[in-house]
Parts: sequence; C-alpha cells; structure tokens
Amino acid sequence: MKRMHVFAVLAIVITGIAGCSKEEPPPPPPAPKAEAPAPAPAPAAPAEVSVLNINLGKAIGPDKKVTTPTETFAKSDTIYAVIETQGAGNATLKAKWTYHKGDQTAVVDENTQTISATGPATTEFHISKPDGWPAGEYQVEVTLNDKPAGMKKFSVN
Amino acid sequence: MSEQMPDFSNVQSGSSSTATKIYEVKPGDSLSKIAQAEYGNGNEWNRIFEANKDILKDPNKIYPGQKLKIPPK
Repeated sequence: MKRMHVFAVLAIVITGIAGCSKEEPPPPPPAPKAEAPAPAPAPAAPAEVSVLNINLGKAIGPDKKVTTPTETFAKSDTIYAVIETQGAGNATLKAKWTYHKGDQTAVVDENTQTISATGPATTEFHISKPDGWPAGEYQVEVTLNDKPAGMKKFSVN
Repeated sequence: MSEQMPDFSNVQSGSSSTATKIYEVKPGDSLSKIAQAEYGNGNEWNRIFEANKDILKDPNKIYPGQKLKIPPK
C-alpha cells in the first residue's frame, strides 16, 4: 500500500514535469506594421519677388512698360523708371532719385510702393518738375525689400 | 567751398503697378480719397472696397495702419 502511494506521487511529479517542459506554441507572428504612406512632396514654394530689369524712359504704355526708352531727358520731361519683377508675394520697391554735381549729391525724390505680386509684374515710378529739371547728372537707385536691386544713371540736357 | 545745389522741393512723383498695390491707411484717409489718389477718380472707391471685403465691413470705416489691396487700374 505504501509502495502504491509512492508510485502515485511519482506519477504526479513526472506528469507535472512533463507538463512544464511542454513547449508552448510559438507566438503568432507580429502583424505587419502598416507603413505610413510616403508623404507627398511639398508643392514648390513660389519664388520670391526679384527684379529682372530697370528701364528709363519719357513715357509708358497701359502695360506700364517704357514706350520711349532713353537715358537723356529734356528739362520738361516726366522721367519714368520701370521695374520689371518676377516671382510672387508681397514686396516693397523703393526708388531714390538723386542729382549729382561734382562731389555733391542732392536727393530729388524718394518713393516707395508695396505690391502683392502673383507673377511677373511691372511697376513704374515717375518724377516731374513744373519749372523744369536742372541740367546735369542724375541717378535712380532701386531697392527691393530694403536691399539694392539696381541703379540707372541718366542726364538732363 | 561747395556749390549751391538746385531746389528740388517742388518735384512731383508717383507710382503704379500691374500688380495689386498694398496701401497703408493714414489718418484722415477715406476710400474715396484713396481712389482719387490711385485712380484719379474718387467715385471708384467701390473697387477698393470690393477688393478688401475680407477686412472691411463698412466702406465708411477704415483705420490708420490697415493695409488695403489696391487693384491695378
């Protein structure tokens, strides 16, 4: 009777050990990660406004472009500086007109214009003097957002 | 001794653009006054009002410092 008891205990122990050593089923493979879709390329930002060229003349057309280009003016002329730009966005153009005599310089006029461009644009600045321009050498300096964008010299005969 | 420079105090100037201009309202401005300066016709104030309906609710109420879009002529 005692021997049977021992066998029973051994059977339970062996069964338990067998149960413990039983390999567990491999875990299910991880679900494939949903890959985030590749981000769409960002649309190219429109280029900032930049100055293409500056032209001087005595008259402009409805498109604001110079119709009679010149760098020599008569005393009674209205003087136009036409600035062609490309790019989009807000930009501040400034025209500073000066008169030069020897080493001296006098400011004739300064004018600023802020534009909201959506593409190529033409902006004109003009000056006139009711009693006529003094003969001599002049220049107009153009800045775009306070940075030099070009300069043109001209004369009045 | 420096030479006397000419007097440029009576120089008249202006500007215009094929792009929309941005105009900053000054004290004493009205839309008709701005239209007169920009288009040579104060009766064209409605063009400016229409272009700025996103910021203007009443054409008689504009304030210094406001930046208005001025459509090209």
